[in-house]
Amino acid sequence: MKTLFLGYGNIDRQDDGVAWHLLCEVMRRLNYPPPQDPEGEMPIIMGDFTFDFQLQLMPEIANDLGGYDRICLMDAHTGNVPNEVNIEHVNPSYQSSPFTHHMTAGTLLSLCEVIHHHIPETILVSVRGYEFLFTRSLSAATADLIDPAAEQIINWVK
Amino acid sequence: MVAQKITIEPVTRIEGHAKVTIRLDDAGKVEHAYLHVNEFRGFEKFCEGRMVFEMPNITPRICGICPVSHHLASSKAGDAVMGAPAPRPAQLLRELMHMGQIVQSHGMHFFELAGPDLLLGFDSDPATRNVVGLLQANPELTVKAVNLRKWGQEIIATLGGRRIHPVFSVPGGVNKALKKEEREAILAGYDDAIATIKIGLDIIKGWAQANVEDINKFGVFPTGYFGLVDPENALELYDGQIRLLGSDGKQLEKFEPSHYLDYIAEHVENWSYLKFPYYKKLGYPKGVYRVGPLGRLNIAEKITTPLANEELKKFKAMNNGKPVENTLHYHYARMIECLYAAEHVKDLLDDPDIFSTDILNTCHNPQPEGVGVIEAPRGTLIHHYWADEHGKIEKVNLIVSTGHNNWAMCEAVDSVAKTYITGPNITEGLLNRVEAAVRAHDPCLSCSTHAVGQMPIIIEVRDTQDNLVQTISRD
Repeated sequence: MKTLFLGYGNIDRQDDGVAWHLLCEVMRRLNYPPPQDPEGEMPIIMGDFTFDFQLQLMPEIANDLGGYDRICLMDAHTGNVPNEVNIEHVNPSYQSSPFTHHMTAGTLLSLCEVIHHHIPETILVSVRGYEFLFTRSLSAATADLIDPAAEQIINWVK
Repeated sequence: MVAQKITIEPVTRIEGHAKVTIRLDDAGKVEHAYLHVNEFRGFEKFCEGRMVFEMPNITPRICGICPVSHHLASSKAGDAVMGAPAPRPAQLLRELMHMGQIVQSHGMHFFELAGPDLLLGFDSDPATRNVVGLLQANPELTVKAVNLRKWGQEIIATLGGRRIHPVFSVPGGVNKALKKEEREAILAGYDDAIATIKIGLDIIKGWAQANVEDINKFGVFPTGYFGLVDPENALELYDGQIRLLGSDGKQLEKFEPSHYLDYIAEHVENWSYLKFPYYKKLGYPKGVYRVGPLGRLNIAEKITTPLANEELKKFKAMNNGKPVENTLHYHYARMIECLYAAEHVKDLLDDPDIFSTDILNTCHNPQPEGVGVIEAPRGTLIHHYWADEHGKIEKVNLIVSTGHNNWAMCEAVDSVAKTYITGPNITEGLLNRVEAAVRAHDPCLSCSTHAVGQMPIIIEVRDTQDNLVQTISRD
């Protein structure tokens, strides 16, 4: 089964970039060497697994989703999501905001559905972010959530 | 009935980010509506103590929405602080990156954010009033729109050399010349880009003709207009002088960007962290002005590219040469600018200096301060740095595009709410119009990147005692 692991966030805004750290941990657990540089060459393709990291979700990503059977999206969340590690299945759905050029996972999947007539099985794994300062190091509280989040992703893959 | 307050509050990644509040009087009519920003990121303080040459690499990372604009404005400020004007070939390459940014940002806003309202109607089913509904209604168009954005993004990535946070522009110039094969790759997408933008223009013009009544009552109000122009007052997005027109279309000022503090001050309201810039000589609020596409096309007398210039003539004819005041015409202006940016990409690629390797000025003449101004997609962006003799930043002042438009967005929200909400029965379509008033300005209030999962719109109806009377939400 072709599976895409796509993390996204601003790595320079502390916990906003938790998805990068989570992506690397998932790669380690799957016995692949994680990349050193989040701004380096991506995606990394290892057999049926593809690993990618983006600053944010963008409409053109939908063009590339059609070839996957499963997608694991990774991101951070704030306190509006109750669980510290939250996993939810993503269905195609649309949301907009008047304020920013933002795109949700559901909207991305909607685009994929209409462009490719195909809906990959998609989960969104989000980790609670506590601090959003100008640094690449995670807060202690968020760093502690990497292991349990990665474990749940590995269980889903297997 | 009891006076009520309605709040539209998207839940964003940084909680308590911004919201729209609508207050109804006892008769159910809108007493006042406003947009307020609840949190401010304060990144100017963060930059103090950094070296000026780091700033083009630091400032794009503040916000994931419009990094290129910060990257270029910061470099221009750095040019001034280091006393190292960039060589002409470097200016061309910076401008090329900037045009890529304009195309992708304006293209995305028109087709994916504003397009659904315009093409499917403010009152259409929210389940399909979105880019997906647009795709279903016109699959071919939506794919073209996605590819238009991709073309703009690829120009940025080609010049920047890497996908995330490209390091390209530096004080004194840029660090990478353009290769011939890169030029060919960009040109390969040119014809399709122009064709898609023209479709967008046909859409907005057709929509404008069919919705004259709405356009003429939706957020129409006088303001000044502000932005960069070239020496002949042509539209200018990368470099030039700042021109300020009054609401009557007469020029109030034209000045070097580095002198902006002589002309602009910022007013503070206690209900918002976002300040309200205004023209000092007229005071606040008489001196408020608009920036961005509507502002720029009002201050420009012409456009240097042929297709866009023809569109500008039609645009200006709508109000017989006087400033166009209608908020919804931001969308029309945005597509004209998108057309200009795409045409200008070709001009730049055809310039004989585009392959030059004279791209970095290493002769420095340090100055105690420097200002870099650029026309970001949303409007005029100002980076102002003060530095010591070693180039260490002592103070930073940033006026972001959305800040200039703060008063106008508030006024548009107030005006639209008062026009369309006339009683207690508030439909989703009515609230969508209020959102559309904000959306027309294409604001960026985010200094983070995005929100995760759902972004519900919550509308709280409260009485004058702040008791919750009703909650309306959109998941």
